[in-house]
Amino acid sequence: MEVQKEAQRIMTLSVWKMYHSRMQRGGLRLHRSLQLSLVMRSARELYLSAKVEAHEPEVPLPPVRSPDPRLHQSREAEAVAEAAPPDGEQPSPEPMDTREAPPAEETPARCAPRPAKVSRKRRNSSLSDGGDVGLVPSKKARLEEEGEGASAEVSDRLQPPPAQAEGAFPNLARVLQRRFSGLLNCSPAAPPTAPPACEAKPACRPADSMLNVLVRAVVA
Amino acid sequence: PPSCWLFCSPLLPSPLTPALSPHRCHPPPSALSTPPSPGEGGEFRKQRPRGTQQGHHLQRNMAGAGGGNDIQWCFSQVKGAVDDDVAEADIISTVEFNHSGELLATGDKGGRVVIFQQEQENKIQSHSRGEYNVYSTFQSHEPEFDYLKSLEIEEKINKIRWLPQKNAAQFLLSTNDKTIKLWKISERDKRPEGYNLKEEDGRYRDPTTVTTLRVPVFRPMDLMVEASPRRIFANAHTYHINSISINSDYETYLSADDLRINLWHLEITDRSFNIVDIKPANMEELTEVITAAEFHPNSCNTFVYSSSKGTIRLCDMRASALCDRHSKLFEEPEDPSNRSFFSEIISSISDVKFSHSGRYMMTRDYLSVKIWDLNMENRPVETYQVHEYLRSKLCSLYENDCIFDKFECCWNGSDSVVMTGSYNNFFRMFDRNTKRDITLEASRENNKPRTVLKPRKVCASGKRKKDEISVDSLDFNKKILHTAWHPKENIIAVATTNNLYIFQDKV
Repeated sequence: MEVQKEAQRIMTLSVWKMYHSRMQRGGLRLHRSLQLSLVMRSARELYLSAKVEAHEPEVPLPPVRSPDPRLHQSREAEAVAEAAPPDGEQPSPEPMDTREAPPAEETPARCAPRPAKVSRKRRNSSLSDGGDVGLVPSKKARLEEEGEGASAEVSDRLQPPPAQAEGAFPNLARVLQRRFSGLLNCSPAAPPTAPPACEAKPACRPADSMLNVLVRAVVA
Repeated sequence: PPSCWLFCSPLLPSPLTPALSPHRCHPPPSALSTPPSPGEGGEFRKQRPRGTQQGHHLQRNMAGAGGGNDIQWCFSQVKGAVDDDVAEADIISTVEFNHSGELLATGDKGGRVVIFQQEQENKIQSHSRGEYNVYSTFQSHEPEFDYLKSLEIEEKINKIRWLPQKNAAQFLLSTNDKTIKLWKISERDKRPEGYNLKEEDGRYRDPTTVTTLRVPVFRPMDLMVEASPRRIFANAHTYHINSISINSDYETYLSADDLRINLWHLEITDRSFNIVDIKPANMEELTEVITAAEFHPNSCNTFVYSSSKGTIRLCDMRASALCDRHSKLFEEPEDPSNRSFFSEIISSISDVKFSHSGRYMMTRDYLSVKIWDLNMENRPVETYQVHEYLRSKLCSLYENDCIFDKFECCWNGSDSVVMTGSYNNFFRMFDRNTKRDITLEASRENNKPRTVLKPRKVCASGKRKKDEISVDSLDFNKKILHTAWHPKENIIAVATTNNLYIFQDKV
């Protein structure tokens, strides 16, 4: 529970920082945004794994008391874990190590084929920054297109993410919405390309209002 | 055309030059003895004793002989405003000695460059080296607005790099996030007098009063230092420029942003070659960015660039036009016992510097400095912990944004000692030979000249000894990100937020 709270706090903080960084002079900084999204991802994984553990105490999983055990993974496994967010719901190390096989089926929409330049490149989407760093007003409200805003009432159906980036902030909105929709909707985070979520549907806890507000602000 | 180089807004005086009056890019004609030329960056009048300049190139015992701890560092000078209220424009963003060490340039967040010049040594007073005094100040970059992206482009000077001196003038490159400029700094100490058609103040004479013909002659005048932009290299970077590095051929240089590195020729401003491009086809797959890049000091075909993942890639431009494939990849496997929530972001390299010899390179990540042998890719040959006591505080440092601070590092002239900054206005030196390290503080409390700096110590945990400082009482707003070491002597320049400290070894 503590872990969950801490992870949520860090996620909230990261969202706030991401939002705040858009306001600063010079525009969004790619490196900073990347670092923030890395932390957000780690926090999210931690949060989800802690949540799973809280609801499946009978399952003999290694206790996730700190982020460290979770992070004993090869980079490739981590890359795959990132590409398919629900992987975070399987906290035990073993599935992560053997996750090199599933990626193909789990992330069909995300496998943009590209020549492997450097083997250590991770295929994660930590930040969708489009081609431009900047505040490009999107021509259409991507949120409407996807059917949901970041509202708690929304069902957990999510459209597949559009393949083509339209600009920095629509993608960011999408990323945030996808990542945090699970928290906001009180439902298992079920990204469109993922296998069925393996966690039991948790009791609908009231969404953290601060997080809600912040994510909505950023997504808006 | 010169019009694009005109700066229209008045120049605020940099606090590093308190005694000067504000100077403008287009001073009214009467302030100049020569007709103003467009694009003048600005100048100021300075009295300077004339004389030979060779005196201060005296070679001293380099730090290598004595080591970082055998040297006693003394306060020499401090430049900048005294008050605690720091104006954002005064924040120093880069510090760089020139190749001889005679000149020391600083850039700040307000887009200004201030150059200090070392006074030639007074032979009588052989117990101190020449002081650094203001030589030139000019507005290098102005804030701009990118209308297409609705983005303001900061005028903050990210980097300054000096060109080696080829003639009487000095040249440097300065860059902000988007534009690199080549500045010429030249001295003028004589002016033509005795024109036939003009009075001395520039007014034209009534032609009917001209009855004789004479040849104008050059007469000495008060020394004037002028800075003028000679080249502007713009519109080549989509992302924010983090590094520039001049090649050892002295004809080309590279500029690096988050995803690309471009190669320029110093004479050609309308095009550059892209030599590294790590932008993924789908930006959603972005996992790392370029954080720093530098040319090898001797091999004009070799350069390195560091990444946010803690790797360094060495590239050879002879291999192919686009150096996406590295020749060498320097990466240390992560120590699993150090793995933590924030490991990824603290492994990001904030600075990379070749040794003067070219045999080694140094990288700075958030907690450590690593020395790499170019012949060994799988791990650094030396690792120095800068402030390991912060490892348990990473969460708080994330909250206050300090975890994103980009510290630089530098070598001494003989490559035997390396230096980097920390918090609480502390800076650290590591002697590679004796393996000893020292922590010093840049503070106005020690500001009597030739006061020996007292080594500082941070108490990580447990009982705090006398004179130690506990981690929790460190001031994280006082950070030293930029330091520079004189190329030949034991003189260092250390930048706190808005002050520049100069320290020398005890002579």
